[in-house]
Amino acid sequence: MTDRDGATTTDSASSSAANPLSRKLNKILETRLDNDKEMLESLKALSTFFNENSLRTRRNLRSDIERRSLSINEEFLQTFQGVKEQLDSVYADVKAMNDCCQDMTSRLKAAKEQTHDLISQTTKLHAESQKVQMKLQVADVFLDKFQLKPNEVKALRGNRDGSLSQEFFNSLNKVKTIHNDCKILLRTNQQTAGLEIMEAMALHQESAFERLYRWTQNECRTLTGDSPDISPMLCQSMEALQDRPVLFRYSLDEYGTARRTAVVRGLIDALTRGGPGGTPRPIELHSHDPLRYVGDMLAWLHQAAASEKEYVHSLLKKCAVTTEQVQDILGHITEGVCRPFKVRVEQVLVSEQDAVTLYKLNNLLKFYHNTIGQIVNKEASLLTTITEIQDLSHRMFFNSLNCHANKLLDKVELPPADLSTPAALSQTMQLLKDVLACHDASVVAIDDKKQDFKQILSCIVDPLVQMCSVSASRLNAIDMACYMINCIYIMQTTLSLYEFTDTRLEMLQAQVEAQLDTLVNEQAAMVLNRVGLAEAYKMVQAYQPKQGPLSSLQGMDAGTLKSAMMQFDSFLANPDALVLPQCSLILSARIRESIKKRSMELINESYRLLFDRIKNPANEYKEPQGIVPRTPDQVMKLLQY
Amino acid sequence: MAAGPYNYSYIFKYIIIGDMGVGKSCLLHQFTEKKFMADCPHTIGVEFGTRIIEVSGQKIKLQIWDTAGQERFRAVTRSYYRGAAGALMVYDITRRSTYNHLSSWLTDARNLTNPNTVIFLIGNKSDLEAQRDVTYEEAKQFADENGLMFLECSAKTGDNVEDAFLDTAKKIYQNIQDGSLDLNAAESGVQHKPATPRNPINTDQAPIDKGCAC
Ligand SMILES: Nc1nc2c(ncn2[C@@H]2O[C@H](COP(=O)(O)OP(=O)(O)OP(=O)(O)O)[C@@H](O)[C@H]2O)c(=O)[nH]1
Ligand SMILES: [Mg+2]
Repeated sequence: MTDRDGATTTDSASSSAANPLSRKLNKILETRLDNDKEMLESLKALSTFFNENSLRTRRNLRSDIERRSLSINEEFLQTFQGVKEQLDSVYADVKAMNDCCQDMTSRLKAAKEQTHDLISQTTKLHAESQKVQMKLQVADVFLDKFQLKPNEVKALRGNRDGSLSQEFFNSLNKVKTIHNDCKILLRTNQQTAGLEIMEAMALHQESAFERLYRWTQNECRTLTGDSPDISPMLCQSMEALQDRPVLFRYSLDEYGTARRTAVVRGLIDALTRGGPGGTPRPIELHSHDPLRYVGDMLAWLHQAAASEKEYVHSLLKKCAVTTEQVQDILGHITEGVCRPFKVRVEQVLVSEQDAVTLYKLNNLLKFYHNTIGQIVNKEASLLTTITEIQDLSHRMFFNSLNCHANKLLDKVELPPADLSTPAALSQTMQLLKDVLACHDASVVAIDDKKQDFKQILSCIVDPLVQMCSVSASRLNAIDMACYMINCIYIMQTTLSLYEFTDTRLEMLQAQVEAQLDTLVNEQAAMVLNRVGLAEAYKMVQAYQPKQGPLSSLQGMDAGTLKSAMMQFDSFLANPDALVLPQCSLILSARIRESIKKRSMELINESYRLLFDRIKNPANEYKEPQGIVPRTPDQVMKLLQY
Repeated sequence: MAAGPYNYSYIFKYIIIGDMGVGKSCLLHQFTEKKFMADCPHTIGVEFGTRIIEVSGQKIKLQIWDTAGQERFRAVTRSYYRGAAGALMVYDITRRSTYNHLSSWLTDARNLTNPNTVIFLIGNKSDLEAQRDVTYEEAKQFADENGLMFLECSAKTGDNVEDAFLDTAKKIYQNIQDGSLDLNAAESGVQHKPATPRNPINTDQAPIDKGCAC
């Protein structure tokens, strides 16, 4: 719009430029008072002091306005004067501040330059301090790991009275750990430290172990009660002492010695004092009863050995020991009782004469050798002692048997008239039965039993047979055979009741057979004699063809033979009539039968020979059928009834 | 240190007696191992087992001797009665003969142990009710007449087994408490282990003959 206004103005100017008045007028007319705020304000201000519209006032208006404007400007000036002054003062202040700042900046700059060194130095120191701190920590840990604390050192020294505390063991363990850890140190470049510490620890260990050993030794010495009070600390000590094998060994010896004493005392008490108020009665009260006396002692030893083994295990429960070591101590502990035990049993054995009792004792000892052998090993004196005594009992037993046998041979009696067995035989058989019966009641291994049986049998049976032979030596052959058969028969019947007697029985049977042959021959010979065929039989046996026909020989003629055969025939009618009288004295019916049967066979054999020869035409018997009317088989049948 | 299994204050010795096959070994096995041994061989002579029990807060170690019932071992087993604090006398409730032999076992027990020995009668194999040959009542009466403690047990099921062994121990312990059992006497069958720590160097105890001062 302004542009248009301008254009308009330019237009009019061009038209009315010549007229300034019109220009002015136009200008006034164009003025829009209501829009001209400035004008309005001016007018408003004017109205404040232009009160009366007079000429004078109108004339003066301009000056009035100018005066007024002047005064206002003066006032304005005055006022601004103040402002300016204040601004000047502010400016001075700011400038001063600036100066000051400038000064400070420069000073700071200087200071900064100066402290830079310090700071880097401090940083360095700080870092160093951290390193040192670290080292301190490491050193602390190291000391903690590689040195004992004062209280630990103190614990290691123990109490004045020599007693030990749990702390002692803790410290001892620590010393050990340190000592071991030093070996690691030695592999690093801390060798000097490692060596020094090791040395120090070794010293600590030495004195501590000495203390520990002394304590343990004393503790072990007190363990002489019926059952030792093995404290947890003692077990711990033994565990610790394992690091010093020699001291460990000595401590065990000490323990063993104490227990050994205790076991000896225990045995003596059981032997001589018995239980409370004498029940159970002291073992020695039964010394008149060898089996009970020895058995009680052995049972006592068995129980004591079992208990002691348990105690050793409890003492060494924390230790890594071998069975051998345990056996070693156990052997030591049970060694003390060997003598008192052995002396007593030997006394029993040497004063005992009864073979049965001796054999029972021998078996008892064998049994306990086995039983106690399950607790202590065979190197233990206790077991070797039992073995020795067992050997002694074995010898004494066989001595006793031999003694008996010798007595048998010393006074041999004549056999009784009825050829029955002598009293000595039945007595000895009874002894044998009693001895062998012991085995049924015993617990000895089969092998032992077999060995024993052999020996016992030869000890008894051989002399018995010998005794019988000697006693029979003055009898005739038939009596002797019967008597021997009777004696051996008794032995056989006894022996056949027992095991392991087979070979013996066979040997005896062979002897019977020999006697039996004698009797069979005698029996057959007697029959042939009685019927008168003995001579003929002998001749036939010895006959040789160059002698000419049999019938031509003296005594072999048909007549003689015929009459003998007739007698033989009457014998056949009743064969039992011609029996050796002694045969009926034979105890065994079976043997009697056997003699009969075998002698009949022999007789039949003889008859068969005669029959064959007589029937043989070469022998020139005229009428052989008349001489031997019966065939051998017929004779056999007759003989069998 | 924690109380280990060895820290007991008494040892009681027991003996188990009775005819062969009544189950003595099985009872012992059941008590010590808590297991039943179905085919247990005959005992040869004697065997023993141990177990630690607790009576009135006291740890007690039982040392139990199991004897062979076969007659041929009688001479041997008799030697083990001495020094027993407890005797367990066992019969088999399914075999009357084993019950009939009790009086002979009792005579042995009375003669060969000390007067304070606690005798406990056990009727074993109570699991075989169908084959029962001895009534509870008559056995109970026998026990009462002879002043014996009595229980029927089964080594097979474990029934009452624990009680028989423990009751015996309680009775022995009671005898100690009321002073009727003298611990100082030899062969009382009880050994006392003082639980209090001892003076380390026991000056009143004469040093043992070993003169070594190493
Ligand atoms: N059903 C049953 N059988 C039992 C029980 N106890 C034992 N037996 C059986 O009885 C048999 C004999 O048991 P053992 O313990 O050997 O008898 P024992 O008394 O020790 O015999 P000896 O050693 O010869 O004196 C075994 O076959 C056992 O299995 C039981 O409680 N119940
Ligand atoms: Mg058994």
